[in-house]
Amino acid sequence: MLVYSVRRLLLAIPVLLGISVITFILMNVVPGDPVLNMLGKRADPVVVEKVRAQLGLNDPLYVQFFRFVANAARGDLGESYRFRQPVTRLILTSFPVTVKVSISAMLVAIAIGLTVGIVSAVKQYSVIDHGSMILALSGISAPIFWVALVAQYVFGLRLGILPISGYATWKEMVLPALVLGSRFAASIARLTRSSLLEVIRQDYVRTARAKGLAERVVIFKHALKNALIPVITVVGLQIGGLLTGSILTETIFGIPGLGRLAVTALNNRDFPLLQGTVLFTAFVYIMSNLAVDLSYAYVDPRIRLR
Amino acid sequence: MRIRHPLLAVVVLSLAVVLVAVGCARKVQEPAREPVILHDWFTDDPGTLDVQQDTTLAVYGLARELFNTLVRYKGETLELEPELLESMPTISADGKVYTFKLKQGILCHDGKTELTSKDVKFTFERMLDPNGKGLSTWLYEPILGAKDMVEGKAAELKGFKIINDYEFEITLEKPYAPFLHNLAVPSASIYPAELCKAAGEEWGRKPVGTGPFKLKEYTPSTSIVLEKNPYYFEKGLPYLDGIEYRIVPDEATGLMEFEKGTFDVTSIPTNEFERITKSGQYTILESTPLNTYYFVFNMKEKPYTDVRVRKAIAMAIDKQKIIDSILGGRATVAKAFVTPGIPGAYPAGQGPAYDYNPAEAKKILEEAGLKKIKAVTWQRGGTQVADTNIAIQAMLKEIGIDLEVQIIDRAAFGEARAQGKVPANYGNWWADIPDPDNYLYTYFHPSQSRYMSTNYDNPRVTALLDEARITTDPARRAQLYQEAEKIIVGDDAAIVPLFHKKDYLAVQKNVKGIIMHPTGVNSYKMVQKEPAPK
Repeated sequence: MLVYSVRRLLLAIPVLLGISVITFILMNVVPGDPVLNMLGKRADPVVVEKVRAQLGLNDPLYVQFFRFVANAARGDLGESYRFRQPVTRLILTSFPVTVKVSISAMLVAIAIGLTVGIVSAVKQYSVIDHGSMILALSGISAPIFWVALVAQYVFGLRLGILPISGYATWKEMVLPALVLGSRFAASIARLTRSSLLEVIRQDYVRTARAKGLAERVVIFKHALKNALIPVITVVGLQIGGLLTGSILTETIFGIPGLGRLAVTALNNRDFPLLQGTVLFTAFVYIMSNLAVDLSYAYVDPRIRLR
Repeated sequence: MRIRHPLLAVVVLSLAVVLVAVGCARKVQEPAREPVILHDWFTDDPGTLDVQQDTTLAVYGLARELFNTLVRYKGETLELEPELLESMPTISADGKVYTFKLKQGILCHDGKTELTSKDVKFTFERMLDPNGKGLSTWLYEPILGAKDMVEGKAAELKGFKIINDYEFEITLEKPYAPFLHNLAVPSASIYPAELCKAAGEEWGRKPVGTGPFKLKEYTPSTSIVLEKNPYYFEKGLPYLDGIEYRIVPDEATGLMEFEKGTFDVTSIPTNEFERITKSGQYTILESTPLNTYYFVFNMKEKPYTDVRVRKAIAMAIDKQKIIDSILGGRATVAKAFVTPGIPGAYPAGQGPAYDYNPAEAKKILEEAGLKKIKAVTWQRGGTQVADTNIAIQAMLKEIGIDLEVQIIDRAAFGEARAQGKVPANYGNWWADIPDPDNYLYTYFHPSQSRYMSTNYDNPRVTALLDEARITTDPARRAQLYQEAEKIIVGDDAAIVPLFHKKDYLAVQKNVKGIIMHPTGVNSYKMVQKEPAPK
């Protein structure tokens, strides 16, 4: 397992390099001068030229790229043009906020998704099953900004029981977690239901029932553990997605996470910040995928990593 | 005094104990006053509070609370008055030498550092330092030696002479009439030299000024909290104990927070204007800021190289219709490029701009033998074509001009404009200072016109603009600028002034005293907030 983990980590290096190259090329192909964007329309041409030289933007592209890679290898992702702060500091400030939101959303999603999925599978074709699957379908289909707006209006403005925006207190976290989590809850519910239905028709489950075990024990002790493998895969991948920042949710609720940081960087042609956030996002994604792969072996001993 | 009678002594003692007890009890019972905080919001984190490095209205507004300028606007007028100065500066007969005298005893937020002439010199030189990142070098460019500093040829500002701690003299390269207005722009806020140097790179996040409020806490992308400056030199001000600005990127969310009462003040999104203003729940403040929305041509791009095409376009646009149908009447028709109200501008309702006359426009094109004209205009950003561009497109179609609107990313647009490559565009200008120079020189003087993509170069206009800059007589300046504008907007039809947009704020009814200045910079120094009704 250790060898496998190390190998996967080493494989991440060429992937990150590749992503750096693509991001770097894209940023330089997209029109828009970062210095003019930073200095504004009244900037003195002499000042523009000086700032460009200070930032090293007059150097050939390959020089700029290798400088970036060399600095990144030392953990220095440069300084943000807009915030005039080290990119690493900005990322490390916004990432914990994203983690907080993601974990809250995922806990909501798992709690609702698993419960609904299990109940639907056990009560297949019942009113509960049909009702929850319709709700799940709506959860997947409804645009997140619309769900957020409705939730803010109803719970925040009309009923006044929850804050409309913010992230600092647990009360402020409820709406973002519910809104972001509802979409994932829907897909977890559908997946849990189908996976559990498949498992409970298998022979070993029938044997368990034949032994006279209680239905509760059959479902929770025998069927659910195996039914959860595909669910874990999906949850793992979704956590990877969530940890890289949910742009819409963070924007609507005013949460200063990684997604919002990336959008600010893009809008302001803040190249170092954009490159830093993309690279960090890729790294988090690779790490979360690795964690999912490793967790298979733990959940299902039949799977052995070589 | 000695009390001889023991009974009397007991009575006096008891009385004293009772009085002390009552006094203490009163002190304990007196409820602590809740701090009065004004709650406002921004859609974007300014990134820095260093107003030399950011020229957005948000940072300008913050600078008015944190710092002071040498001169300022009187209330909501365009009249200047001293702020850090004892009195308005004296100006030499040739209009080149300005002598200033600072008020004495102005303390910074730390309560110890006193503001002196050295700080003013430091502030000017910091902006002009070629190794710094001062954005508004134009403010001080008329000063002797400023250009040399910007270009790195001088380490000191030659035209700035310190007389003593409170007096200093500024010499201009040549007379420049609007100079004092430059000093009222928030970017010209005065920084305390030693504190600024000590803060180094952190200055943008931990500024120390002399303004009515001081920075309490700046949480990036979340909030900026200010508190009352107890050492503020204008006694009795500010009335508020503090201001909290929250950063909420989504407009709909911000408006909902305002409706819930979390925020005290908000701008009003266009699509919510009717509902908010007619609800009767809020105070609606209206101002007519110094702006002009226009359709401008690049004189080097076809078909706009032909003055007949430009004139026809100017006559084909029904400005009133755009105002009524798109802006809900919240603007006035522009008859000139320079906003009325600015000294030297045409009075409201007068000016050289063409009236709506599509028949005449068609006639001009027919007489010129111009048919099936294809033209391109750029739109600065957005995901869909703006309503005004759609309206202009439809109006030009009526006279046989096929206008294509191309949406160009904001950053790319900015880059192309600075290179003189934008073919035409519907845009706007919000004045930095209330002076025609700020409009006409910026867009139509050949030394600047390339950067605004007009590429305009008319020697007669250039001579008028140059002369107006150095003329100090207000009547003569007005005459020069009006003549220049008559050529630019009338004869050459280089720009089509469309309308002047009004500005609105919705404010909770318990909040009073917000100053909405025509420059677009609002101030909360005079704000009073009563407890909200339960």
